[in-house]
Order: sequence, then C-alpha cells, then structure tokens
Amino acid sequence: MRAFLYDRPTAVGEAVAAVAADPQAAFLAGGTTQVDLMKDGVWTPDRLVDITRLPLRGILVESQQLKVGALTTMEQLAAEPVVEQRLTFVREALLLGASVQLRNMATIGGNLLQRTRCRYFRDPTVSACNRRSPDSGCAAVDNVARMHAVLGVDERCIALHASDVAVPLIAVEASVLVDGPSGQRRIPLTEFWVRADEGPSIENVLGHGDLITEIDIPLLPQGWRSGYLKVRDRASYEFALTSAAVALQMDGDMIGDIRIALGGVGSVPWRAREAEEMLRGTHVDPVRFEQAGRAVMASAFTVPGTAFKVDLAVRTLSRQLLTMTEASR
Amino acid sequence: MKTTRTTARAPSAQDQYTVDVFTVVNGAPAQWRVDTRTTLLEALRDTAGLTGTKRGCDQGACGACTVHVDGQRVLSCLMLAAQVDGRQVTTVEGLAGELGPHPLQEAFMRHDAFQCGFCTPGQLMSAACLLREGRAGSDADIREYMSGNLCRCGAYDNIVAAIRDVAKGTD
Amino acid sequence: MTATKPDLGTWVGKGIDRVDGPHKVTGSAPYSSDIALPGMLHAVVVTSTIPAGTVTKIDTSALLTLPGVRAVFTHENFPRLNAPPPVLFGEAPVAPMQDGRITFHGQEIAVVVADTPQEATEAARLIEVTYAAEPPLLDPAGGRLETLALSPDTSRGDTEAGWAAADVRVGATYTTPENTNNPLGLMGCVAAWDGDHLEIHDSTQGTNALRTTLAVMFGVPESGVRVHVPYLGGGFGAGLNQWPYKLLAAGAARELGRPVKLMLTRPQMFKLVGHRPSSEHQVRIGAARDGTLTMIEHRATCLSSIDFPAVGLLTSGTPHLYQCPNVATVERTVRLNRRYPTSMRAPGEAEGNWAIETAMDELAHELGMDPLELRLHNLATELDPATGKPWSSNAVIECCRVGAELFGWSRRDPRPSSMREGDLLIGWGMATAGFFAYMPMSQARVTVYADGTAAVRSAATDIGTGTYTIITQLTADLLGLHPQQVDFQLGDSDLPASAHSGGSGLASSLSNAVIDAVSHLQGALLDLAAEDSPLHGLGPDDVVCRDGALCRRDDLSVRVPIADLLAGQSLVEASGDGRLRPPDAAAAGMVHAGAYGARFVEVAIDPMIGRLRVRRVVSVTDGGRILNQKLARSQILGATVGGIGQALFEDTLTDPGTGRVANGTFGDYLVAVNADVPEIEAVFVGEPDRYTPSGTKGIGEIGLVGIAAAIGNAVFHATGRRLRDLPMTIDQLMM
Repeated sequence: MRAFLYDRPTAVGEAVAAVAADPQAAFLAGGTTQVDLMKDGVWTPDRLVDITRLPLRGILVESQQLKVGALTTMEQLAAEPVVEQRLTFVREALLLGASVQLRNMATIGGNLLQRTRCRYFRDPTVSACNRRSPDSGCAAVDNVARMHAVLGVDERCIALHASDVAVPLIAVEASVLVDGPSGQRRIPLTEFWVRADEGPSIENVLGHGDLITEIDIPLLPQGWRSGYLKVRDRASYEFALTSAAVALQMDGDMIGDIRIALGGVGSVPWRAREAEEMLRGTHVDPVRFEQAGRAVMASAFTVPGTAFKVDLAVRTLSRQLLTMTEASR
Repeated sequence: MKTTRTTARAPSAQDQYTVDVFTVVNGAPAQWRVDTRTTLLEALRDTAGLTGTKRGCDQGACGACTVHVDGQRVLSCLMLAAQVDGRQVTTVEGLAGELGPHPLQEAFMRHDAFQCGFCTPGQLMSAACLLREGRAGSDADIREYMSGNLCRCGAYDNIVAAIRDVAKGTD
Repeated sequence: MTATKPDLGTWVGKGIDRVDGPHKVTGSAPYSSDIALPGMLHAVVVTSTIPAGTVTKIDTSALLTLPGVRAVFTHENFPRLNAPPPVLFGEAPVAPMQDGRITFHGQEIAVVVADTPQEATEAARLIEVTYAAEPPLLDPAGGRLETLALSPDTSRGDTEAGWAAADVRVGATYTTPENTNNPLGLMGCVAAWDGDHLEIHDSTQGTNALRTTLAVMFGVPESGVRVHVPYLGGGFGAGLNQWPYKLLAAGAARELGRPVKLMLTRPQMFKLVGHRPSSEHQVRIGAARDGTLTMIEHRATCLSSIDFPAVGLLTSGTPHLYQCPNVATVERTVRLNRRYPTSMRAPGEAEGNWAIETAMDELAHELGMDPLELRLHNLATELDPATGKPWSSNAVIECCRVGAELFGWSRRDPRPSSMREGDLLIGWGMATAGFFAYMPMSQARVTVYADGTAAVRSAATDIGTGTYTIITQLTADLLGLHPQQVDFQLGDSDLPASAHSGGSGLASSLSNAVIDAVSHLQGALLDLAAEDSPLHGLGPDDVVCRDGALCRRDDLSVRVPIADLLAGQSLVEASGDGRLRPPDAAAAGMVHAGAYGARFVEVAIDPMIGRLRVRRVVSVTDGGRILNQKLARSQILGATVGGIGQALFEDTLTDPGTGRVANGTFGDYLVAVNADVPEIEAVFVGEPDRYTPSGTKGIGEIGLVGIAAAIGNAVFHATGRRLRDLPMTIDQLMM
C-alpha cells in the first residue's frame, strides 16, 4: 500500500474541502472496498480523509420515505423495523450481501460506490483494463469471465456492479444527497451510475470532492409487497450470479403496479422498465413473466463465460415473480 | 481543520505518515504510533503483540481476523488502525473472563469445533457476537450468520454444535 | 515389529478433547506467522507476469532509496544454491532465483526486504521488470505426454475381450478442474542464521524433509539446521514440498545477517505452494446382464509444470476396488508453463474416484440395477484383485450396508426425477471409496521420569488432524498412565525424525514407532533391574508399564516402581527409541489395506434456477483402529466439506493466453462455507487392521473420496441429467 496522509475531520464541510483541495485525496468510509483496493495497488491516494466520525449516521423515518445517513451501516439499515415492513426487499438484499462482519463496517453510501470485483481491474499487473486505464483494452473479455456483467457493457468493459442493496434501491427510485465543492444537490439513483458501455472509466456522476451524505428511500405504498431473490453458487457469502428485486401491488389476480430491478447482470444496478411495462396490469402468467425477462435481457452482450447469465437472469426474475404472485393465485 | 493526525508535536516529513491511536484493547488502554497504512490487524499483531487474531487472506474474504470494535464484529484486515482511535477493541485474548474461559471456548473444545485452529479465534469472536445479535435461534441461522468465517479444515458441523450448545445454555 | 499386541483400550479410542485445544481457543498457539524475532526484517516475494522467457533486467536502484528497504534480491545477487535433494513426497521443485529463466506466470523473480511488511510490500509493488518473453506452452494439446513415477500403467486380463463379452457397456470422459489447497493459514517462515546454523519457523508438514533440503541446498551440516513447526494452519498437502519461499527467506537472512520473515499473500498461495492439477479421465466399463463386471479401462491425464511433475495417482485406486478379470489403467501427464502442482487432500484418488464411481452409476442405470447392489455385487473384499493376495482388512461391504441402513437407501425410488418436494427435485446418490495404504518411516523416543510422568518426542507435525492428542492417548495406554501425565513434544526437527503429515500415513507410522519405543523403554528399564528384582531375567515383551511401575505382563502384582529402578542406577530418566518396523509384506502373506468408505448423499435441486443444496450426507468409513472417536469423526466431517467444495465450487481458473491465475482470492475461488454444509453423519466400521500392531489406517483423506461422485449421482437421480465435469455449477444445473 502506498503511504498516505490521514485526516479525520468532524464536519462535512471540512471533509469536502479537504478532498476538494487535493486532487490526490479521497474519502474513506467503511473501507471494505477501498482498503482492499489500496492493498492491491489499484487505488493509490496520497491523502485519505476519514469520514467515519462525521455526523452522517442514523435513519430518520418519515411518512413516505426514509432518510438514511450515508454512514449508516448495512446491518443498521437492515435492523430498522420500517425497512422490514415497508421495504422488505431492501432488508433481504442487505442481509444476503457479504457477511455480518462486512455489513457492520460497510456503509450504505459506500455500498453504492463499491468498485467492480473484476479480477482484471483489481490486478495492476494486468495492463488491459479500460476501467483502470482508459484505452488500454479489456482483459476480461478475452479471458475468464463469470462474475461479469452482460447488460450495459460492450467489448470495452464487462465490469459488474456487484451491489445487492442497490438493486432494490434503484427499483424504488431512491436518491442520494450530495455535498460537494459546488454545494448540495440531489441525484436520483436512476441517474447516478454510468454504464460501462457509455464510458468504461467513469462509474458515476460524482465529481472530485463530492460526498454522499444521505440516501433517501421512498417507502413502498401500503398494500405493496416486495422480495429479493439472489442466485449464487454458494449458499452464503458470495456475490450474486443473478438477482431480482421485485415490488408489486396486486389488484385481485392482476398485477396492479410493479417495480423490477436486476442484479448480477449489469455494469450498473439494472432497472428493468421493459419488464415492468409488460407486466403492469396483466394477469399472473408464467409465460408472460419469461417474456418480460427476455425483453430485459434482449440487449445482453455476452462472452463465453457469461452467456449462461442471460437465461439465468430470466429464470431468476420468473421465479421471483412466481413466488410473489403465488399468494394471489 | 480539526484532525486527529496532528498532535501536539510538530509534524516532520516522516511524522506526516504516522498516526497516534489511543484505544482500549481488551479493557486496557493502549497507545500506538503507527504508519498510517497500518491496518487494525497489523497493529494488533505487530504493534500490540496480540497474535491470536489471524491473517487468512488480508482481503476481507475469510473472517480469520474478526475482532470486536465497540462490541460489534468486524474484519480487522480492512479497517485502518487509525479508525479505532477512541474505540474499544476486543480480541480472542480478551474473550475469556476473569473467572475463566468464555463458554464458547469450552464448547469449541468439547465439540472439537476446530482442527488446525487457525480460523478459531475469528470463529469464536464471530460466534460471541452472533449470540448477542440473537441469531443462534436455529441451526440454519447459525450457519448463515457464521458463513463469513471460512474453516478450510471443515469443522462447520462442530462449530454449529458448539454454538447451539452455548445458545441453549444461555437461554 | 514385536509380535505382542499392545494393551490398548483405556484411552485409545476414547473421544477425549484435543490436548492442544486450550492453546487454539485462546489464540496462544504460535503459528509461523506469529513468530517475531529481535532485529527481524520482512521479505516480500515478487512474481513474474509472463509465463515463459527470461528476466532481462530488474532495476533495483530506485527501490533501495525507498523508506525502510534493506535489500532487493534477484537472480543476479541471490546466493547460489545446491540442487534440491530427493526427499519423500516433499522435494523442492527447483533452486529458486539461480538464473532469470521463467517457466510459469507467477514465478518468484525477486525478494524485497525491508524493516516493515508495509515498506516491503510497497517497494515490491513498484519494482520494474523487463522480460524477454518466449512463446509459452499452455495448451495441453500441444504438449508431450509423459508417464509419472507413481502411476505406472497396469493391466490384467484382456480388456478388449472383456469389452466384447459385456452385455452392457458404458464409456465417457470425466474431468476435474485445478483445485488449490488453500489452508487458511498463510504459509511463510522466519529464518535466522547464527554462523552456519539455521533456525527456521515454518509451516511445513514435514520438519525433517525441510531440514535436509535446507542443509543440502545451503551446503551446511544437517546437524546445524533446526526446523520449528509446533502449529500450522492446515496444509492439505500444500505444506509437503520445500517451496522456493523457504529457500528465499533463508538465503536473504543469511546474506543480511538478520532474521527474515517471509509470509505469502493469499493470491500467492494460489501460485507458490502447489495445487491439485486438473485431470481428464476416459473410462470404459463393461458388465454382464447380472451386473458382473467384465472390464474396466481407465485412461487419465493431468497437467504438470515444466520443472516439476504432478503426483498423479489418478488411476491408483482403479485396479483394487472391484473384482474384475480385465482391468487396464493408463496415466499420463503433460508439462506446461504452469505453476507447480502437488498433492492435495486425497491426491489422485479424489479425481479417479469421481470418474470411476460416476461411471459405475451410469452402468447401474444402464443395467436397471440399484447402484448399491452393483457395488455389493462386485466389490473385492477378500483378496486384492490386482495381486490375488488377501487384504490385511477390508470392511467396504460393511461400509455400504451400514451406510445404506442409516441413510434409508431402501426407500429410494430408482427412477430419475421421481422424488419431488414442491419445486424441488430430490436425488439420492451413493459412491464407494478406497484410499491406498501409505506408511512412511517415523521414529519416536519415549522417556519416563522418576516423578511418574512421561514424554514422547518426535519431529512429527500436527496439521490439525490430532497428532498431539492421539499419540498422547496411545502412550498413556502403553505406559498405564493418564494422558495428563504424558507430554508429547513434536514439531521440532531436533527430535527423533518423523515422516511428514501426509498421505494419511502419519498416525499409523508414528503410533507403531511409539509402540516400538515403549518396547525398547521396557527393555531399558529391565536392564536397570537388579539381580534380586522379581523382574530380573524377563524380556521386554514380558513386562508392561502401569501407573509408574514396571510390571510382569502376566501378573501385574509383580511390580517395581520405575522411580526405584532409576534410583538404583542413579538415573533420573530412562528412554526407549523406536521406529516403524514395517512387516515384510511377502512374509506376512497379505496386502496392506488402506481405508474404505461408502458415501450416501441427498441433494435438493431447484431446476429453474439451478440451485443445488446438499441436504444429507452419511459417510461410513473403515478406518481400522480408531485412536480417538471424536477427532476421527472430525477428519471425516472436514474431508466431507472438502468433497462438497470439490463437487460444487472449487475451480482454479487460468487465463488461456498468459497462464495467470484468474481467480486467486477467497472472494473468487469458492470454498464451502458453513451454510453450504448439512449435518453430516460420520460412522466408523471395521476392525483393527492386522498389518501393524497399532491396527490403524489413515483417515485424513478417505472422507473426501467419493463425495463428489455421490453428489453427482444424486444429481442424476434428481434430474436425469448426467454431469461429468466438476464443479457442478448452476449453469450445468439449470433444467
């Protein structure tokens, strides 16, 4: 790990100013991605501004939404009763991610900013990585790709955004509050990430010195239910091969309204609007479920190692839709 | 700017890359002056000489380095030593009470919940929190919430049995 | 070997807690990574980023200006070493960094030494290496086939005639991927020289092999090299060989005149301490309509590195498990620009069994016969079919019958996809297993003291299998003491030489050495008896030690306190040295049998999303005499977990163009976690083996053998889909 200066401010403004003033500075929160990347030599900041003592921890429950401090840990958010009742799939996604130890460290803000797990990105001895070093190529495309993305990618980069909780969060259209050198702004998660096929080296719209201070999560309306299905090789402690976050409101045996997002497949957490549109106002129909999934995956870019994900994602979504509509049948 | 890096002493070039950490380890105050890069795992093992906490991967993927910070289980390999300034750290060396071993330590021996023993400190520290978290209600829960601790010798069934034993005893 | 059977049974077999348990649950057991010596420097290995060629330049001048950096060693300034000596199952693959030649991606090419690990790691990251790359040999199809020393071709009968005579035939190709041992303890060492004397704290599975290797390669007397391994964080074979890192640490320490600590990283554990190489098996089996086997043909290949061959043993079990008149095995390897292979828990057997036991299941299906019945019909239980001589013991039939009973096999509906629970397909599968007998040489010294306590000393290691405990129990019985009165000291090469922990051979080897040592101790004590002693004139096997006294074996009331015997000659202790005395196999008229087993598995598969969960495992093992029921069960449980990993997860991937390990972390290379493992029922059957006095068999590896095949056979039963390539992952299981 490269030597670095370490600051630990106690006010948001100080933290933002400290990073903004130094092009080689960066924020440090839970560390579960960053410390790992620093050890790998992939990320070499000269100055770390530790934000873990900033007053950005805690959950404010309002009637229509949760205001979640960016430093709230995954375990803390999962333990919030309102999350269990009104955002079931957020809780499920949180508890299916990583391990308890990591969830005690990882912050919700940091989770959204986690870097790809791609082993070519994370190994600086591999020179071809457009995400790490623009226009150098993509080693993953030609080598071993299994934990990689098939949506929002092309031959320049197939990096996966591996977050679980970001999948339901994008389904409910959560937004982040950002403090930065130019002041405060709100960014909907639907506009937060940048797809790899839109520029492999840019992961999100944040600028240098921008700090997520809060995540605002709309509560699902009364009468909705939601669930998160994660498919992976191991039974626990593994990133998703595919996952599906579904929230819906049944209207008799019809799907009244529905929100869908997929994980494990996209260079960004993947909102499945095509599927939502195909299913909204329709009867429960397994064939249509599969067609909806196929519509989402129609634009997939695959390499030999990831080809199976197209079918698996369709099946994952279908299974989750079946599970969630079963009670209505 | 308020920081904890700057202390009363004037920072020299070398000092800029060191940090003073005031912490409490296993109930005793500790002060470390370490390279800013130092992880909590390295500070515990190399600075404090508490080698019970193990490095199995140094990448947050095996759980061998699990310790408690302010009563919660965390991975000490992915936490900077500087980040426990002002916090309470408990390691396997501090798991036993004054009156004797922690019930989990006895249960692990009774159930042969380890073989090579390398993952054991992490398993124990994880299990101690698991009990506090109220997640030892079923074998399935124990297995799920202990899955962040790899055991390559494969002592999982006996780890579950040991935890189940203690959970029942403390009900 | 003494003809007298030892008196065992007070402590031997009992499931006492591990004697080293208190150290392990308090964090006080010192592993090599925990050693810190005054003045110690820290070394980090730099590895190559090309698979073949030479290092043309490593610019070290910039590195030496970095804070804390003391030295950078490359092939240009690393000391010249002698060639590695042959040592049993543990030789050094090469003398490292003697020239700039590179034979695999990830090979050691430099060592950076600094005051702290952080400084050494950062300097290693900044090193700049220039290579002259050569075209690598990475495609097995382009390599030359070679035979392996341990895996000669075998043949009996006429397999083509057996094939022609068969009513039912199966033939298929089965593959297993590269698996990496990955003990949880990172391997590494601390080396410190004092003149020509070297002390090294390491994570080797065999102290004496490391001592010999270091002495020869550094050209110093073996008497001056001392290896310490009181504890090691597992090994599963990765600690058998004298890997380059040990030589690099010792060389750096010698050059710098300071102790040097060198710990590998987890990614380096995938490259520098061996692995189970990938393998391919072409199997043909023929049978008569009643299930009688008419032929077995097993042709296997595995990958090797350029400088160091694989262990092989892929076909080693095939000629022995089933009665069959016509059997042929052919085994080859291909040398490629890949990292060094080694033994990994049940080397060869785990892979070969996957192929043969899957093929047997296919045969059962083709015959319309119950898979268990097919096994029972053909298992070779009395005579070794390869030699025609009787086994020293063989309870494989009992393994099958007891396992079937415990599992409830008779309730199995034989039709594939016939057992369902909601969306889930349920499958029951089974496999039989064997593991070869292996018993390398060990020595031990048993000492008794005037205070009634005793010590056993041997340079053996305890890799978590329980060596500390079982030898303590055995010695307690042999001396008539309580285990708390026996102190077993191991893990130090200055103690009487011992075999490595490996090949499931140590328990048998060392227990027989201790039995022999106690016999010699009894002789030594008799030698102290005065002419008027009631024991005078008796032979070593006419007496036994009981509760601090030497007694007539046939009349324990005739006893002389050991303290009195010692005092009579002004001694404070007496010792007996012993060693394994393997019987003359020919004279014994039998074949030394290994362990046997039968595995029964239930899986539940969600065919829509390809999700497989192992729900039940019954594992029955013929392990001969069991020295400690609790610890022996743990060996089977652990090996079962390893088998589940082999079956479902473990797959070390390699970039096709460069030979780079593509998934060398615990986040990317999956091993089974707690939630993957069901409650495992592990049971032992059989009798003490009659080949040696201790009656033990090795049980460290047999538990893994057969698990993958039983799971795969259960998958077939659940789904009707036959999987022949490990691991069995979701993409293969979506229906």
